[in-house]
Amino acid sequence: MTKGSGITLDRVSRNFDSRGRRVEALREVSLACPPGSLTALIGPSGCGKSTILRLCLGLDTPSSGSLALNGLSPADATRAGMTGVAFQDAALLPWRSVQANVALPLDVLGHSVSAHASKIAELLDLVGLKGFEKSLPGELSGGMRQRVAIARALVTAPEVLFLDEPFGALDQILRRQMNIELQRIWMETGATTLLVTHGIDEAVFLADRIIVMASRPGRIAKIIDVDLPRPRDRSMFGDPRFHALEREIAEALDGH
Amino acid sequence: MATDRMPGWVRGLLYTLALLVLWEGVGQLRLVAGGALPPPTAIALRLFADWADYPNHILATIQGASIGFVIGNAIALAAGVLFVLFPVTSRVARGLNVAIYALPPIAISPILVLTLSGMAPRVVLAAIGCYFVTMTATVVGLSQTDARAVDVVKAYGGSKWAVLRLVQWRSALPSILSGLRIAAPNAVLGAILAEFGGGGRWGLGVYLLGSLGRGEPDRLWGIGLMATAIAAFAYLAFAVAANAITGTTQAVTVPSSVAKAADRDRPVWQNATIAAASVALPFGVWMLLIWALGVPAMLAKSPAGLFEYLFLMPNSPVAQERLLAALAQTLPMTLIGMVAGLAMALGLALASQIYPAIVRAFMPIALVTQTMPLVALTPLLVLMLGRGYSLILWVTISVTFFPAFVTMAQGLILVPRAALEVPRAYGAGILTQLRLVSLPASLPYLFAATRLTVPRALLGVMIAEWLATGTGLGNLLNQSRGYLDYGMIWTVAVVSVLISVAFYQIVVVVEHRVLDRLGMASTN
Ligand SMILES: Nc1ncnc2c1ncn2[C@@H]1O[C@H](COP(=O)(O)OP(=O)(O)OP(=O)(O)O)[C@@H](O)[C@H]1O
Ligand SMILES: [Mg+2]
Repeated sequence: MTKGSGITLDRVSRNFDSRGRRVEALREVSLACPPGSLTALIGPSGCGKSTILRLCLGLDTPSSGSLALNGLSPADATRAGMTGVAFQDAALLPWRSVQANVALPLDVLGHSVSAHASKIAELLDLVGLKGFEKSLPGELSGGMRQRVAIARALVTAPEVLFLDEPFGALDQILRRQMNIELQRIWMETGATTLLVTHGIDEAVFLADRIIVMASRPGRIAKIIDVDLPRPRDRSMFGDPRFHALEREIAEALDGH
Repeated sequence: MATDRMPGWVRGLLYTLALLVLWEGVGQLRLVAGGALPPPTAIALRLFADWADYPNHILATIQGASIGFVIGNAIALAAGVLFVLFPVTSRVARGLNVAIYALPPIAISPILVLTLSGMAPRVVLAAIGCYFVTMTATVVGLSQTDARAVDVVKAYGGSKWAVLRLVQWRSALPSILSGLRIAAPNAVLGAILAEFGGGGRWGLGVYLLGSLGRGEPDRLWGIGLMATAIAAFAYLAFAVAANAITGTTQAVTVPSSVAKAADRDRPVWQNATIAAASVALPFGVWMLLIWALGVPAMLAKSPAGLFEYLFLMPNSPVAQERLLAALAQTLPMTLIGMVAGLAMALGLALASQIYPAIVRAFMPIALVTQTMPLVALTPLLVLMLGRGYSLILWVTISVTFFPAFVTMAQGLILVPRAALEVPRAYGAGILTQLRLVSLPASLPYLFAATRLTVPRALLGVMIAEWLATGTGLGNLLNQSRGYLDYGMIWTVAVVSVLISVAFYQIVVVVEHRVLDRLGMASTN
C-alpha cells in the first residue's frame, strides 16, 4: 500500500563553508528510491550520508539541486507526518521517559498520544524495552537508547523512513535480531526506507539496492542491486550469493 | 578521616557552625572595629527584644518585593522567549536591556519616589532588579538547547513554537531557575533600596534607615539579617527546584553543537538600522515614560533638557568639569573591581567543582553580601578598611561576584557527564578535566557572567563612593541630591548607563570573535 514516487534526489550538492574552508559534503548526487523499496547507503565516514538524510528531512537545504519525498518537498512531507527518522545519535530528550520520548513525534504533529498508547507499548515490546517505559534516557545503556530512537521513528507509521546507523550501538546478536525485525516491519508497512549503515552484511541482508558512496567530494561511487528472495532469514547470512555481494561492496568501498 | 564519609550537607553545616562560633568569639571580644561586628547571640537577643516591630516591616518589604518579582520576571520571561524566537528583536532591544540593567537604583529611587506613589516605587525597583537577570537566563537556556533534540522535532515538521514547547523551554528550565534564584535577592534589595528613597511608614529599609543614626550595630545587623533570611529563603526555594530538575535529566552525551539562529548574513544597511534602533529605543522609552507619567520638566529631564543642562546653560562648563573629574576617579576603579569580582567568581566556581563542601559553607556568607543592605554593612566595612580604595574594591567585589559565580557554576554543572568521562578515562585528575573540558564547554557562560558583571561593577563603585569615600560619580550623585540639582542627577544616571552599555558592547564583540572561532553559540 504505497503511493507517491518514493525518494528522489536530482543533482543535489551541499557545500559547507566554515572558517574559511569549503567542504563539499555532496557533489551532484542523483538518486531514486522507488516507493516501498529499501535502499542502503554505505560509505566511509564523512562521505555525506547523514547530510543526505538531513536534506531529505528539510533540516538543511541543498546548495544546488532538488529533492522530493513522494513528490512533495521535504518541508511539506515532514509536516504531513509522512516521515519517520532515527538519527545516528539517539537524540532523546533527557527529561522525558522512554514512553514519552517515543511519543514525541505525535506531540509535534498534534496527534493524540493516548490514542496511540497501545501502539507505543507494542513498539517498545518490539525493540525489547518492555518494563522500561517509565525510565529516563540517562538510566539506559547506549544500545537501549538507540532502540528507543527506533521505536520513535516507527510511531507515526511513516510512509518514508530514514534510519541513520540505527543499530550502531547494538551487539552483533541483537543487531541480527533487529535486522530481521526491521525487515518484517518494513514488509508489513511498505515504507520507502533509506538506511545508512556501516555494516556490509546488514546492507546486503536488508536492502533492495545498495548505494556505495565515496568521500571528498561526497558522491555515489557504485550502485549495487540485491535480488535475494524475501523474506530473508538467518540462513541467508551463510548463502554464497550473499558472500559474493559482500565482496563486491567491499571492493567498491576500496575504490575498485 | 571520618569527615570523608559524611554527606556533603553535613560537612557544609559543620563549616557553617564553625564560622558562627568564630563570629561569636570575635564579636564577644570586640575584635573588629570596636564592636561594629556584634556577636550572633547579641544580635539574636536584640532581635527578640525588637520583635514587636518586625512583622509590619517584613510584610511591607515582602509585599513590594514579591509583586515586583512576579511582574519583573513575567516580563523577563516573555521578553526572553521573544528574543530567542525572533533574534532581530533581541538586537533591537539590546540597548534598552542593558540600560535597564545598568540603571543605578540609588539614582532613580528618589526620582521614583517623587513621581510614583504608594508601593509603586518599591515594585518598580524590585521588578527592575529581576528583569535583566531572568531575561538573560531565559535567553541563555533557550539558545543553548541541544541541536540534536531540536532536529528531532524539526524532522517532523515542527515549527519554532513546537521546538519551543517540546524542547527548548524544558531544557532552559534549569537556567531559568538559576536566573530566578539570583532575581529573588535582587527583588528584596530593590524593594529595600526604594524604601530608602522615602515614602511609606513600613518596610525593613525604612526601619533600617530610622535605626541608622542611633549607632546600634546589633539592631542594624538584626534588620540586615532578617532581610537576608527572606532573600535566602527565596533563593533556596529556587535552588531546590533547580536541583530536583537537573539531577536525573542531565544530557547524557555531549551536544555536538547548539542550535544556532542563522542571523549573520544581513545586508549592511539592515545591520546599521538595527544598531540605530537599538540605540534609539532607550531614549524613546525614556521620553515616553516622562510623557506618560506627566512629571514636571524641572524634575524629569528629557534628552533635550539634559543636553541643554550640559552644553547650553551658563553653568554648563562647571557641570562638565565636575562630571569629568568624577569619571576619572570612577572608571579605573570600575575596571579593577570588575576584574577582581570576575576572578573571584571564577575561582570559587572552579573550587565548587573540587571542594563542593567548602563552597556550600561559603554560600551563606555570599548570600549575606547580596542582601545585607550595603548601607548596613558599610559602617562596618569603613571601620575595617578605612575610607580608601580597598573599601571600594570590596564593595564592588561583593556586588559583582555573586551573579557571576552563579552563572559560571551553572555552566560548569551543565557540562555533560560523557564529556568529562573521556579525559577521566585517561586518568585525568580534576584539574585536567576542568582545563580540558569544563572550562571550554562553559565558555559561553563565562562570557555571559562577564556581561552580567559589567554594569554591576559600576554600581558597586558608585555605592561605595556615595556611602564612604566621597569621590567619583557616586559622590557627585549624592551631592546633587542634596542640592536638588536634578540636571546633575539625571546626567550621572544617564552617563553611568552609557558607560555600562559601552563596556557591555565591548564584551559582546570579544565574545562573538572567540565563540565564532570555537564554533560555539553565544548566549547573547
Ligand atoms: N554543519 C556542518 N558544517 C560544516 N561541515 C559539515 C557540517 N555537517 C557536515 N559537514 C561535513 O560534511 C561532510 C559529510 O558529513 P556527514 O555527517 O554527512 O558524514 P557521514 O557520511 O554521515 O559520516 P559518518 O559515517 O561518520 O556519520 C563531513 O566532511 C563533515 O565535516
Ligand atoms: Mg553520519
